[in-house]
Parts: sequence; structure tokens; C-alpha cells
Amino acid sequence: QLIDFQWKLGMAVSSDSCRSLKYPYVAVMLKVADHSGQVKNKSFEMTIPQFQNFYRQFKEIAAIIETV
Amino acid sequence: MAGELESCKPLSGLLSGLAQDAFYGHPGITEELLRSQLYPDVPIEEFRPFQAKMRGILKSIASADMDFNQLEAFLTAQTKKQGGITSDQAAVISKFWKSHKTKIRESLMNQSRWDSGLRGLSWRVDGKSQSRHSAEIHTPVAIMELEIGKSGQKQVGVAWAKIRVPFDHTLARQESEFLCLEFDEIKVNQVLKKLSEVEESISTLMQPV
Repeated sequence: QLIDFQWKLGMAVSSDSCRSLKYPYVAVMLKVADHSGQVKNKSFEMTIPQFQNFYRQFKEIAAIIETV
Repeated sequence: MAGELESCKPLSGLLSGLAQDAFYGHPGITEELLRSQLYPDVPIEEFRPFQAKMRGILKSIASADMDFNQLEAFLTAQTKKQGGITSDQAAVISKFWKSHKTKIRESLMNQSRWDSGLRGLSWRVDGKSQSRHSAEIHTPVAIMELEIGKSGQKQVGVAWAKIRVPFDHTLARQESEFLCLEFDEIKVNQVLKKLSEVEESISTLMQPV
């Protein structure tokens, strides 16, 4: 069960391997509870295209769940 | 011997090998391997500074993510330097960067991603159902499975393989974690609202200043 969804839009400007990175990304922190009630944090990053795919799929889910 | 190093045919292979080592993290690409396969007649003492020079040039170009104007200016400056490169070599480097720029940039971006990434996503929606254990009729539920994992070094396709390197299985991607989530309609809409906030943020960020 998803308890909380936090997000952050970041821009990686520079790194030690590449001085001119200029790479935007979406970082997500999910707070989830399993069947026993134990709460865990899960975090991951998405590139912008990955995020947009994620968003599109969620919209599809919303459309379907409304009609079921 | 200098003539050998100036020859452009093996330079393309050298740049590929250097890129594999510097950007894609492919192990096993030693100086000796590159020399023996690409410049077998050049002694190691001469080859070493030469490949270091080429590696330095490639790293500068990648680090600055040069566009083609910057690249031309940079390479021209290199040809004018004492102990720099020839204009033929500049042409090979230029051609190499133009065809590999995107992949190298992607690889550098991946190197800077230390957090886990979203590797896969699948979902289904379950309709109304009734359980004998509970009097409640279950409302529709969306079940989503997220595959989350660290971006390990990917095995890059071996189109550059004028150099033979033993295959390294440790390059295989690290184990993924599968997270299974259930959402009812309310939850789906709550998350959707958050996602639209992200989308708005992205649009603001991407707007030309």
C-alpha cells in the first residue's frame, strides 16, 4: 500500500566525470506499508522521458479504473 | 616511428578503445592491449604519451559536451599547439565525436546516477470482487509492479570490436527489486495529481529563459 508519494525535480549540472552535464531528472520517494504494517521508504530516479511514460501509464490506469 | 602514430587508420580504433575504458567503464582495456592490436610496431614508450594525449583530448571534449562549433575551435587550437595533433587526426577525432557524442553523454549521465532507477513498470486493474472472508465487496484496484534497480554498467554492443577483449560477466546488471503496489481509485487520483504537479514543474524548467 502506498502511504505517501514525494517527488523532486532536479537538474544535475556538473559531475566529476562530466563538467557540463545539464541533465534534468525526477527523484521519487515512496512510503509503502506491507501487509504486516511495516513501513519502508523506497526511492528511485527517472529521466524525463521515463517520467513521462510513468505519468502516461498512470493516466491510463485512472481512465480504466473509473470505468470498471 | 612518428609516421606510424600519425597514420589515421588505427586512430579511430584507439578512440573507440579509449571511450570504452573512460566512459563505458569496460574493464580490461589496457595500454598494452591497445598498442598491440592497433599500433603493434610502435614501442610502448612512444605509444604511452600518444594515447595519453588522445585520451586527454577526448575527455575534454566529453566533459564540456562540446557542440560542433566548440569542437572545431578546440581541435584547431590543438593542431596549432607544440606537440599537438595533425589536421588529419583532428578530422578523425571530429568524426568520432559526431557519431559517438550521444552514447558517450548517456553513459556519463548514467555514471552520475547513484540512486536506483526505474527499470520497468507493469500494471493491471482488477474489477469488483467479493471475498468469502470478508463481507465487503472490493472496489476496483490497480496493481502496479515497479522494477527498481541500480544502473550497473551496461554491456555496450561491440560494433567497435577491432579490439578483442575477453567478455566480463561482472558487467551484467545488478539485481532489481520488485515493488508491488495496490491502489484504489482515490489513491490513483491522488498520485495522478502529484504527477501533474511534477509535469508542471518540468514545463517551467524547460521553458527557454
